[in-house]
Amino acid sequence: MRRTSTITVAGLAAAALTLSACGRDAAETPAGETGEAVATGAATGTITVWAMGAEGEKLPELAKEFESANPGAKVQVTAIPWDAAHDKFTTAITANKTPDVAMVGTTWMGEFAELGALDPTPGQIDKSVFFEGAQKTTEVDGTSYGIPWYVETRLVYYRTDLAEKAGITSPPTDWEGLKSMAKAMQEKADATWGIGLQAGGVGSWQSVMPFAWSAGADLTKDDGKAYNFDSPEVLKATQYYQSFFTEGISDKAAPATPTTEPDFVSGKVPMFISGPWMMSAVEKAGGEGFKDKYDVMQIPADQQSSSFVGGSNLVVFKNTKNRDSSWKFVQWLADPKVQVKWYGLSTDLPSVKSAWQDPALTADTKLAVFGKQLETAQAPPSFPTWEQVVTSFDTEMEKVTKTGADPAAALKTVQSQADSIGTGG
Amino acid sequence: MNTSTRSKWWLYAILTIAVLAVAAPFVWMLLGSLKTTAELRQTPPTWWPEDPTLDNYAELFSKANFGAYFMNSTIVAVVVTAGNLLFCSMLGYALAMLEFPGKRALFALVMGTLLIPGVVTFVPLFVLVANVGLVDTLPGLILPFLVAPFGVFLMRQYIKGLPPDLLDAGRVDGAGELRIFARIILPLCGPALATLGILTFLASWNNFLWPLVVAQTEDTYTLPVALALFSKGQNATNYGLLLAGATVVVMPILLVFLAFQRRFIEGIATTGIK
Repeated sequence: MRRTSTITVAGLAAAALTLSACGRDAAETPAGETGEAVATGAATGTITVWAMGAEGEKLPELAKEFESANPGAKVQVTAIPWDAAHDKFTTAITANKTPDVAMVGTTWMGEFAELGALDPTPGQIDKSVFFEGAQKTTEVDGTSYGIPWYVETRLVYYRTDLAEKAGITSPPTDWEGLKSMAKAMQEKADATWGIGLQAGGVGSWQSVMPFAWSAGADLTKDDGKAYNFDSPEVLKATQYYQSFFTEGISDKAAPATPTTEPDFVSGKVPMFISGPWMMSAVEKAGGEGFKDKYDVMQIPADQQSSSFVGGSNLVVFKNTKNRDSSWKFVQWLADPKVQVKWYGLSTDLPSVKSAWQDPALTADTKLAVFGKQLETAQAPPSFPTWEQVVTSFDTEMEKVTKTGADPAAALKTVQSQADSIGTGG
Repeated sequence: MNTSTRSKWWLYAILTIAVLAVAAPFVWMLLGSLKTTAELRQTPPTWWPEDPTLDNYAELFSKANFGAYFMNSTIVAVVVTAGNLLFCSMLGYALAMLEFPGKRALFALVMGTLLIPGVVTFVPLFVLVANVGLVDTLPGLILPFLVAPFGVFLMRQYIKGLPPDLLDAGRVDGAGELRIFARIILPLCGPALATLGILTFLASWNNFLWPLVVAQTEDTYTLPVALALFSKGQNATNYGLLLAGATVVVMPILLVFLAFQRRFIEGIATTGIK
């Protein structure tokens, strides 16, 4: 390895260290492991970083500020396509060719941690500054690996002008209200379908689970040691989700890649559930002034209002040659000011709660709803087998929505598959 | 040809339908690359761009290093193709015309490797390349593919069909094996070489997963990797950019094919039939 050796300059320490929001006391994790403390001082040497897609393209610009605060450090970012990024990581882990720092999808954490590839988060990083649901995505078996970098959550999008036409002036807050709103859209506002819901298939759990969590579901049982899909709460949510299809409010034959934006703009499907990236997408499709024709609302509550929290985490790999500086870079990216700056560059939503106080984010009322939902949004359990298990959930959901299969039987199938696959822990 | 005009007419009709079926996606890709994202996602879809724009291409070429990715792809594809043409025909010649101990076993070995799917050897191959220190280098993208079992098989079958008398004549005139190979065999292998060349070039040019995994920095990215990087996000795909990129990626292949078209068809028609 011809990498610049790490020299920790202890003397210059505090002066150059511009990290502000780092609490000294480590948040207490029950059984987990806390990473070794990181030496204080400026970061030095080369830090190699892998980041996917647009994040990879834009991160170098932000990293320049880190370099000027830490003159001895150089951040080398490689942008990786989302396609097959997972394969690239697993191959790199097998061959010990990982970078120092990487952006990692929240649902990959369990798998990579299980492979022993990730370095536990050191105590200097205060875990309580992040949204709770997002922080949970970094935890595997009680140990936190890395930090949530940015977050996203799912909300209900609806056309305000058409809702008015349908006689709805304030957004519904419960399940019954959501359904009658979608019905009214069809009856009074000429909508073909009341609300666009994914009719099973890959990733449909992300649309069903917000309802399950809102009904109070816990996807694990036995002290978080096993999957729990056939609980009464998940069943309730699945039955509710199915009723949209059986009552003709949602399209059973919706294509796998739905034409959400144009249908939303034309009013054919004036409601759907999706993440923050859809705001710019529908505004682009709708043209000027469309901004004022739609709004977002939280997932209506049953026991509570909850949703799915996604986004990406930042991890440091165990075989890094520049551990201290890598963690310093990660810690720097979690600084509220840096998070706000990153939002400006990438429109990625901050994972640090206090960053949401910044005028850049409070100015947008739609964003504020996302911020509110993030406080209660939840993530799936970080078992390494999650991706595998959830595939069977997606398949069963397709039967439930398209052919009207019995939700209870479908969930039982998912549960028995989940039991036979196991948590992998 | 002395078929009647009527059956010829039918032939043309069927061929036209087939050509349309094959060409339609390409035409759609080409036209789609001139549309805005909003138009691409419109229902019902449009065939002809309502408002043709070159924005997608402008965006594509404004991406840093696009020229470098093109260069990487070209170097890798050309060297891999040249290597396959040389080594596969050498091995094919030996297996077809020369007698030496272990020939049958060697041929069985080559055929055996044909049966192993690439995904099985993917990770071991990467570990090997990593241990040799070729990760993130162009040789790391080239070396593992310099000779392929399918190419060896193709060349052996073709060379086996050449008249052995030619070799004897060469030997009588005092030519060594190398000279026979270079002066007699290779010039006769034109169609097979063209086939092998275009197939190898295609495979190398379109290869995605291996370059993605081997490249550790953007300096060694090839076109398909860069294209996936730019056009596909975590939750959304920029279809306009994707189609423009695909058009740019496909063009060199079309040119290579047009250049070798006649020999290519000849090669497919003759290989392995004799």
